[in-house]
Amino acid sequence: MSLVHLANVCSHLQNASKARLGLTSIPSSKQLLSLSLALQSAGFIQTVARGGLTPPRLESLSTYVPEPVTQENISTRRLWLGLKYFDNEPVLRNMSMVSKPTKRIWMDVEGLGRIVRGREAGFVKGLTRPGECIFVTTDRGVLEARECVERKIGGMLLCRVI
Amino acid sequence: MSASRPVRCLLSGPSIPRIRPVVRCRNFHTSPNLCERKPRYPSIKASDMGLVAKEKKLQARENFKPYTAEEKAALSQRYTPDQIRAIEAGEEAIDPEDLDKKGIIRTGWGSLEYLDDFSQIKPVIDRAPGKFELQRAPVDPKARMMTEREILQSDFEFDEKVIAENPMPKDIDYTDEKTRATIRPNVADLFRGLDEAPMFMGSDGPISQKDQSLIAPGVPMDFESDISEGLGIKKTKAEEADIRDPEGNYDRLRKQTGLTLDEILDLNPKILVMHRVVNQTRLGKIQSMYCLAISGDGNGRLGLGQAKGQESVDTMLNARIQAIKNMKPIPRYERRTIYGEVEGKVSAAEVKLMSRPPGFGLRCQHLIFEMCRAAGIQDIAAKVPRSRNKMNTVKATYQALMSQRIPDEVARGRGKKLVDVRKVYYGGRV
Repeated sequence: MSLVHLANVCSHLQNASKARLGLTSIPSSKQLLSLSLALQSAGFIQTVARGGLTPPRLESLSTYVPEPVTQENISTRRLWLGLKYFDNEPVLRNMSMVSKPTKRIWMDVEGLGRIVRGREAGFVKGLTRPGECIFVTTDRGVLEARECVERKIGGMLLCRVI
Repeated sequence: MSASRPVRCLLSGPSIPRIRPVVRCRNFHTSPNLCERKPRYPSIKASDMGLVAKEKKLQARENFKPYTAEEKAALSQRYTPDQIRAIEAGEEAIDPEDLDKKGIIRTGWGSLEYLDDFSQIKPVIDRAPGKFELQRAPVDPKARMMTEREILQSDFEFDEKVIAENPMPKDIDYTDEKTRATIRPNVADLFRGLDEAPMFMGSDGPISQKDQSLIAPGVPMDFESDISEGLGIKKTKAEEADIRDPEGNYDRLRKQTGLTLDEILDLNPKILVMHRVVNQTRLGKIQSMYCLAISGDGNGRLGLGQAKGQESVDTMLNARIQAIKNMKPIPRYERRTIYGEVEGKVSAAEVKLMSRPPGFGLRCQHLIFEMCRAAGIQDIAAKVPRSRNKMNTVKATYQALMSQRIPDEVARGRGKKLVDVRKVYYGGRV
């Protein structure tokens, strides 16, 4: 569960959004897959698809069945993310780490509640901008901080997305 | 023993008084403590005063009546039975009392600035429906380029008009050059025809080129004459030479923006930065004055104006005029604060603006205070962590105010529904 890949993904998604790319790929791992699905359900990205070195065809994305992962092809697996733009602006503008590879931050519901209300908790700044999200990895998977508070579960703070 | 306590006190009775005076923690201000304050009026329940109607549900039902049989028949002509069933289900699902309580006029981003019932057509204000609708529309949606035949016909009609206006004398000496030059249509008429003869065919026949350009609809074709003449607005004596503006400083601004002198003077622009700048040339230093002004209507519009010049008075006036000209609307949450936190950066000056609850006030430095006051923002906190250069601070604040993200737009971008919890809690009454 290294966070180094996640840090690279954060920077990469920011760069891809700034370059106005429609589709981009990130390394394939369970952690990154669940995070990208959380990003998709929060509306930050359009599509999440598992694929190889070449992206899956756009027109068959809904009916697409990914190739089974084997010992031979596991090193070439990538996650292909479709980025979103609205009103000539990227929907995902800023994505930064909260936990760092050298310093992980876990938080209970009380602290998450403070953050969601826009207050600071445990050296983590609150969600003060409209539409700002923090993604938290919990034993129920990667969830948004507000959903964590709703379900009363704590976890490790992954990244902050605007 | 001290002077304030004579020996008698020590000798007679116990030194500690039995009943101690009540010592309360006193405030440093003059208003009485909250615990001591008594309400001016006894609190009475609204139900005791008869303000709460017992049969409120019935009242709400009266306001929001169900569809009558006639209305249902009219609806059935327009909608399919499935849609009507959906409408009926929707009508049933909403409690009339809830609608009475919550169905109020909303204020917020995107709400209308005026009240209007769009279901009715007012003959004075609205366009008449029906056949005039298309004709009066600013841009004819069915306009198209004329075919070759139609262009020929249009040119022919134009030439005929020219001939009718300048009838040819009956006996012409074609050998004489001077009389031949008077024959119309001539070459000049040919070029005039290119400009004036209609080139586009609308739904009601050819569209005159004089009225509007189809390439840039809405732009008047006649640039040279005064707009007010074309609109039939006559200049009054007061407008021509006003005592408050005898030198006509604001004349051009009035024409450009369409504001009246009263409105311009009400805006009351303020000079925030003024200093001397120097341009070093090979002839020496050339000094001039730099001026930065802001202007706002106190209701969500703010403008920034800069000017540079030799004379400080002229420069100040120019900056003010620029500020009025550059006024733009600024998004305001509940018309009192901003949306969340925003940052602006110009050069080394960074500004961070933070929204605050009602009654917080403008707790920020003086330049940002002035800008917020002009824009009509009442609650804000600000930080200027790095450079505090006046000019750059003002510019960065303007940039920050303009770069606000509106929750509605965020929601549309993400395809999610965002709900303003404050608005829900107070039933839209904030």
